[in-house]
Amino acid sequence: MFGRLNGRRRGWAAAVVMALAACGGDADPGAGDGSPDPEAGAALRVALLTSGPVSDAGWYAGAYEGLLLIGDSLGAEVSHQQTRTPTEFDEAFLAYGAEGYDLVFAHGFEYQDAAMRAGPRFPDMTIVVSGGGRVGDNVAPLIFTLEEASYLAGMAAGGVTRSGVVGMVGGVEIPPVQGTFRAFEAGVRAVRPDATILEAFIGNWDDVAAAKEAAVAQIGRGADVLIHNTDAASFGVFQAAREATEGGAETWVLGMNRDQNDIAPDVTLGSAVIRIPEAFLEVARRLLAGDLGGAPVYEGTSEDVVDFVANPATEARYPDGLLQRIRAAGDSIRAGTLEVPRVPFVDGETG
Amino acid sequence: MSGRALPLVSALAALALTLALAAAALALGGYPPGEAFGALLRGALGSPQAVVSITLVRTVPLLLTGLAVALAFRAGVWNIGAEGQLYAGAVAAVWVGLHAGALPGWLAVPAVLTASVTAGAAWAAVPALMKLRLGVGEVITTLLLNFVAIDLAAWLVHGPLQEPRGVFPQTESIAEAARLPLLIPDSRLHAGFAVAVVLAAVLALLLRYSRVGFSVRAVGASPPAARSAGRMPVGRVVAGAFLVSGALAGLAGGVEVAGVTYALYENLSPGHGYTAIAVALLAGLHPVGVVGTAVLFGVLEGGASAMQRSAGVPAAWVDGIQALVILSVLVVDRVARRILVARGGRG
Amino acid sequence: MALDDARLDAWAGEVHAVLGENGAGKTTLLSALAGLVHPDQGTLRIDGREVRLTTPRRAWHEGIGMVHQHFALVDAMTVLDNLALGRRRGGGFRLDRPGLAREARELGLRVGLDVPLDAPVGSLGVGERQRVEILKVLLRDPSVLVLDEPTAVLAPAEVDGLLELIRRLALEGRAVLLVAHKLDEVLAVAHRVTVLRRGRTVLEAPREEVDEGILARAMVGAEPEPLARRPGPPSDRPPVVRLRGVRVGQRLRGVDLEVRAGEIVGIAGVEGNGQRELARVLAGRRDPHEGSVHGPDDPAFIPQDRRREGLVEGFSLTENLALGLHDDPTWRRGPWLRWSALRARTADVMDTFGIRAQGPRARASSLSGGNQQRLVVARELQGRPRLIVAENPTRGLDVAGAAFVHRTLLDRVAGDDPAAVVLLSTDLDEVLALADRVLVVVRGRLHPVPPERQTREGVGALMLSGGGVGP
Repeated sequence: MFGRLNGRRRGWAAAVVMALAACGGDADPGAGDGSPDPEAGAALRVALLTSGPVSDAGWYAGAYEGLLLIGDSLGAEVSHQQTRTPTEFDEAFLAYGAEGYDLVFAHGFEYQDAAMRAGPRFPDMTIVVSGGGRVGDNVAPLIFTLEEASYLAGMAAGGVTRSGVVGMVGGVEIPPVQGTFRAFEAGVRAVRPDATILEAFIGNWDDVAAAKEAAVAQIGRGADVLIHNTDAASFGVFQAAREATEGGAETWVLGMNRDQNDIAPDVTLGSAVIRIPEAFLEVARRLLAGDLGGAPVYEGTSEDVVDFVANPATEARYPDGLLQRIRAAGDSIRAGTLEVPRVPFVDGETG
Repeated sequence: MSGRALPLVSALAALALTLALAAAALALGGYPPGEAFGALLRGALGSPQAVVSITLVRTVPLLLTGLAVALAFRAGVWNIGAEGQLYAGAVAAVWVGLHAGALPGWLAVPAVLTASVTAGAAWAAVPALMKLRLGVGEVITTLLLNFVAIDLAAWLVHGPLQEPRGVFPQTESIAEAARLPLLIPDSRLHAGFAVAVVLAAVLALLLRYSRVGFSVRAVGASPPAARSAGRMPVGRVVAGAFLVSGALAGLAGGVEVAGVTYALYENLSPGHGYTAIAVALLAGLHPVGVVGTAVLFGVLEGGASAMQRSAGVPAAWVDGIQALVILSVLVVDRVARRILVARGGRG
Repeated sequence: MALDDARLDAWAGEVHAVLGENGAGKTTLLSALAGLVHPDQGTLRIDGREVRLTTPRRAWHEGIGMVHQHFALVDAMTVLDNLALGRRRGGGFRLDRPGLAREARELGLRVGLDVPLDAPVGSLGVGERQRVEILKVLLRDPSVLVLDEPTAVLAPAEVDGLLELIRRLALEGRAVLLVAHKLDEVLAVAHRVTVLRRGRTVLEAPREEVDEGILARAMVGAEPEPLARRPGPPSDRPPVVRLRGVRVGQRLRGVDLEVRAGEIVGIAGVEGNGQRELARVLAGRRDPHEGSVHGPDDPAFIPQDRRREGLVEGFSLTENLALGLHDDPTWRRGPWLRWSALRARTADVMDTFGIRAQGPRARASSLSGGNQQRLVVARELQGRPRLIVAENPTRGLDVAGAAFVHRTLLDRVAGDDPAAVVLLSTDLDEVLALADRVLVVVRGRLHPVPPERQTREGVGALMLSGGGVGP
């Protein structure tokens, strides 16, 4: 908790300093011919758009850390805006475009239409849409192949479950989430072919109470291992598992998107993580190398952006040999010998 | 005459108080107030592009819903449902817009706007009927129907109206022909702005000088006197004002879709229909005043996101400060009114 | 400029009547006493000590209690609850109901105020509500009691009881200030009289030194002509309006009535016996549930509550006049009303009807009660309507205002093309002075009064007995 708060405060301070610097000498916005050149003096300017708070300890927090990492590693000027309505999507691209930003991370599929409109207007700006579905000259979807880690999490669940019932709590039923759940199911069955797998969606990303309710219902139906893909609402799933365990019904949780092993360390088996900060930094580097735009960017196990991280505090609860099997499966995925189910959603992409 | 000068006076007083309050709040949070306000002003008014493409674009839905609320309140109809009527209008506009590909532009755009007007009026017809036939107060019914409309829109973008691949919770973009033309090339300002301003003028003239406007004012000021002394059909006037109010709010939804987003999303409106109540009250329910207060709130909303972008003030703080501003504007407006009434009051 | 050099001295143990025309400044003077209005100049002393009444609460602390013309009671609550509302004293959040009830009963017994403590206020008649209001103020034991036109809403029998009460309250050692219109009431109860005219005190004298003539002259500056009662030969013209078996809920239970051009039909009765519904059916402002109504298309209607029904107080004079004209194509051009023509017309009407106001653009709320009523009468009578329905048209008006309304009504039934007038009034004197024939309304039924019984006593008895026929 404290770590999160500190991170946030640092973030605000950094943004304020950045703004002051920008006011000090913003004489030449959008200088040059489009390909940013940090050596020539004009700093790289990078912006982030999120439609949720960066204090979610998940999807948006990772993006915000990525933004700050780019600022630290590449000396870039950074800026962030949380948008609420579609009108603000266009507005934000317009504002950043007008101010000469080089790279905008639009962290969610919802930005894709506005990004496609803004792209041609600001040819010098590159827009990367996380989970997006459309491709333009300077608009690229950023696809995290989180399915790969979900598959490994499924193996952990299949190995640990005693009842043979495993639950999945999702936020909104969109293809990226469906993808992780299909892969998770495949992972469970790889270890425990007769498992029963429950699935529920709460319809949003931030209703902690609804997530908890869904988790409690699944526990009531016998599930003793739960995985979520609900972003900020995931606290409800962790809470449900902890309360069930305290009540005598031992229940395990798997984290998603981010290393969530420390939220409820005693009931968490591990997390399927996207290292969003590293992915963002990688994207920014590709921009500087002139290797961005016109095609989707995939970031997964091979790039070390996606991974399954077992919780050291509960590793002892894994049956013998399970962790080795999971590690081996990870290597096979990296080597291309194991294919994980995936739900496609980018234009022209095949499944 | 003082009645007309009032909104300006109170708006300025409100601005001063608000700035003081907001500055204190910002300073408490550790954000330099000057920096934040500077960002707000630059973001909303710092360049022609900011004024036209951000502030005025934001003004349009506030202006149309503000007119809707002002008209209803003038008729004594407490329509709290502009938000729901806006969504109803947006849904209808998208539905027509998606099917208007074959129509020529001169027909497609009017078809989209007509659909939104009709849907907004229809959404208002439900509480209007409940009020007039069953005597159910419209404050509750219009408010509840907001939630119904918002949830209906959410269901539609997840189901029947979802974009064809069924991936994202939004509709496909409406046909090119159905989109509002830009008012200024190379900006985001669409023709809906002109429509809204013209409607404000028409509404002002009708209320002030026309017979039907006179009926609306009389019914709003005193239904018994309108019925007895004016021999006016009070129920019909109330129903008419209610429907036109709903139509204006519906148009706000249609214009947002046809001029800004081109598609229906779950959270199309950040609560324009509620802000509209503040917009209308601050304008003294006068349509021309609504133009002014809608621009004021447009500046506030448009500049608010710049506080995030350029001054690093987090979104939650920006929201809080915006709410603070609306509250203090309303409070100061009331106080100023009371002072003026007491000073020039009856002997 | 509602008050300009007004003086008023009230003594403990005395009833002091304040008289004046509408707009003379009576209400403003009393509002100053209640702490609602702050005088620009002048002083106020209580027991010789100068005080400044900046708020109603201050006025209360100085021992001034006011019973307003418009009651401040909550209909849905019981009398006891309403009394509790009026209490500001001590106790924090706790409400000592039994104690309050005991106190109210004792006080009621002492001064002769009989009020059912457990009844909801909504179920009470006007007279009872007024007693509740008075009791509410008395519970605070004020040394100065101010009553603003308390008799205006009461039936004759109730008026006598109230005057008696006022006398007793003064005997207890309070100073009672009574604002009234009716000279006979004032003369019956007051020890001392002050007359205001145009914001000035023009007369202050002990009761013994004045009579009706002196007071009336002081109020208007000249003695008004006494009402000449017309001899009323039965009209042989065709009926203008005809009701057959009219029924409105339980309020009107089968009413037949014909009114001919050139006659004034007076309808007397204690308030709440169906006059309200009868007036609106006659005036075409509502449809009966049963029965038939044949009458002219556009009857004139002067409602008793001018501030609620007669006009829109927030509207200008012109707009109020337009309420009666907006239907008429003469005043329209397409969808627009011809406002400049309407303003000119308003200026004319102000002249003709003697409406004192700043101009056609002045708000109706800025007019005194009498001028408001002139405005209503002017609007309703401007098209020479064939039927005029007037409901307590002089309620709350001063001598001059009432005389104006009476003269106007008499005017309209004279001449070659007279109108038919129905006058519904709880003021017996008014009905007897104006009407050619009188009917009494009791519990939703009409009873004609035979000519030989058309006296104050005769009609009064019928009003109470139910027309001698029984319900």
